[in-house]
Amino acid sequence: MYTLTGVTKSYPKHGGTVSAVRDVDLSIADGEWLAIQGRTGSGKTTLLQLLGAMLGPDRGVVSLGGQDLARLPEAGLARVRAATVGFVFQGFNLIPTLSAQENVEAALIPQHSKDAQRRQRALAALASVGLADRAGHLPSELSGGQQQRVGIARALVKEPRVLLADEPTGNLDTSTRDEIMSLLEAQWRERGLTLVLVTHDTAIAARAQRIATMNDGCLSVASAQEKD
Amino acid sequence: MFFLTYLRRELRHRFRQAAVIAVGLAVGVGLVVVVTAAADGVKNAQATVLHALYGIGTDITVTTSPGKPSSTAKGSGAFSPGKNPHVIDELTGASLGVIGQSLVVRITRLPGVAAVAGGLADETDSKITVPSLAQLGPGGSPPASALSPVTFSVGGIDPARSRLGPYASGTISAGRGFAASDATSRVAVVDAGYARANRLKTGSAVTVAGRSFTVIGIISQPQGGSPADVYIPLAVDQQIGAGAYGASLHGQVNTIYVAAASSAAIPAVQKEIAALLPSATVTTSSSLASAVTGSLASTASLISDLGRWLAVAVLIAAFALAGLLTSAAAGRRVREFGTLKALGWRSRRIVVQVLGESFVTGVAGAVLGVGAGLGGAAVISAIAPVLPATVGADPGGPAPQNVTFNGSGRTDSTPAGYYHTVAVHLTAPVTLAVIILAVVLAMAGGLVAGALGSWRAARMRPADALASVE
Repeated sequence: MYTLTGVTKSYPKHGGTVSAVRDVDLSIADGEWLAIQGRTGSGKTTLLQLLGAMLGPDRGVVSLGGQDLARLPEAGLARVRAATVGFVFQGFNLIPTLSAQENVEAALIPQHSKDAQRRQRALAALASVGLADRAGHLPSELSGGQQQRVGIARALVKEPRVLLADEPTGNLDTSTRDEIMSLLEAQWRERGLTLVLVTHDTAIAARAQRIATMNDGCLSVASAQEKD
Repeated sequence: MFFLTYLRRELRHRFRQAAVIAVGLAVGVGLVVVVTAAADGVKNAQATVLHALYGIGTDITVTTSPGKPSSTAKGSGAFSPGKNPHVIDELTGASLGVIGQSLVVRITRLPGVAAVAGGLADETDSKITVPSLAQLGPGGSPPASALSPVTFSVGGIDPARSRLGPYASGTISAGRGFAASDATSRVAVVDAGYARANRLKTGSAVTVAGRSFTVIGIISQPQGGSPADVYIPLAVDQQIGAGAYGASLHGQVNTIYVAAASSAAIPAVQKEIAALLPSATVTTSSSLASAVTGSLASTASLISDLGRWLAVAVLIAAFALAGLLTSAAAGRRVREFGTLKALGWRSRRIVVQVLGESFVTGVAGAVLGVGAGLGGAAVISAIAPVLPATVGADPGGPAPQNVTFNGSGRTDSTPAGYYHTVAVHLTAPVTLAVIILAVVLAMAGGLVAGALGSWRAARMRPADALASVE
């Protein structure tokens, strides 16, 4: 699915540059679940942005399905984000003025689907995360766990091949964290997704097939395990 | 439709801010409507002044200044007492210079001219009784009665072209008006008020310049335009009257009334006439504005100088306020826009969404602004007082001066009747064009604000959304 070769990304900071990702080589197989661990500021999120076609590398190649993302124009990158990659954010990033259903529908706008079809798919996605009865609720009327479920439904409604999750349980309590992880694992399994999950939590990382660790922009694959 | 749902929710969520922007735009736009309407009202009032002075249907008048007396000028005022008292009756037009009647024909041929008429306006018939030698006082001073002439105003009308000029504004209330066949007849049409005061009626005789004229009609004329008391045929007037400083009126007029083919043609016609007769004052309703004094002129100046700048300043402030508030709101939605980009939304789609919200705010501002503008214009029309406007008979030229010498020295005075004061009621008409202007301005304000706000969204990288959670 993904092949990263010599990928480097730097940011300007305090008059100098900070290398967030340094010379990373990585392959992620189709349908694989990769967990990325690391301290705050180690470059995990930057790596996720590179995988999600939201950033271009300064150097190296980020290949998704054999396509070099660095060579795509902005419109092409938007198409990748619209169809191939789904995002789950730590802070949920739901639009506060839209209902749960409308938030999920927002992910289908770039696909230009018809209103009725879009509504139907959004409701089905909400049902798949156990929120069919909360479709008309605003984010402020939902608990943190429910909001993250809406976020997962929004990421999955367009049936992407890749799900990128950035600390999806970082803002949740322990029991809700387990619920969300069970949900993500179930969706990964049922849909055959490629899942890249950034987490601080070693217990969560342990559920992945492979664990990679970011340290000061450098990536090392610490272990690999086969999930049944 | 998702676009509208999102738009509605956002506007409802930021209702107070959207309301502030809409009200700000409405104040600016409303002020523009009011000031523009008031300016239109002043223009109308200026046209009213022109029409009151020169008659409905007249777009342009041509006059000249009487200038200064020549060394050969004849003058009245000297009299020689005889054995018996006798009456001197003279018809003079002292306030205007004369123009050759041939110019009327030349103006008729100009492009854009619909009709032309020449006339003799602002003439005064003065009857003075010259005392006999026996009536003279000590030192040969005349009695008081000799110093109090009986006067009335006279207008010379071309009966073949009586649809232009001040005579055209009146209505024949008794008898008949002039016919082309009256051109050389000693007939007169008399103002209703003058006829009433002097017990004149159809068939009566009225004496002008010592000649008897038969009253063929009584004319009711609008108030405020200083109409003539007695109208006589132009050709007869030219024979019996005298111009300023005793100038002959044969083949002369002192005012030419011009109707343009359309209002758009007026400036061009004005220019052509000025080229034909460079010394003439060519007056239109707009050029008359500079010659008008009194409250109307003050109002016009106030609207032009203060009102227009105030409206522009408020409009700029409203645009700036709308732009800043929308930009600030867009700044608070960076994460939202970044999230949408992460979901695959193109920048263009986000810009359209923000512009849509601003456009609706602009429409609300337009509706409120037009409403406020209509209300303001209605208030002006309702409470505006009647404004007096004073203008000379030759609006562009210097006022003629009569010079008299007496025991206390030299006295300069403007001839009686030179200045006319017209009372006009100021209104503030709101035209469709003004409403369209208001709507366009408000929507432009909304779109400018939206463009400022969406510009930030358009140039933002989707990575900003994830960066905000790191």
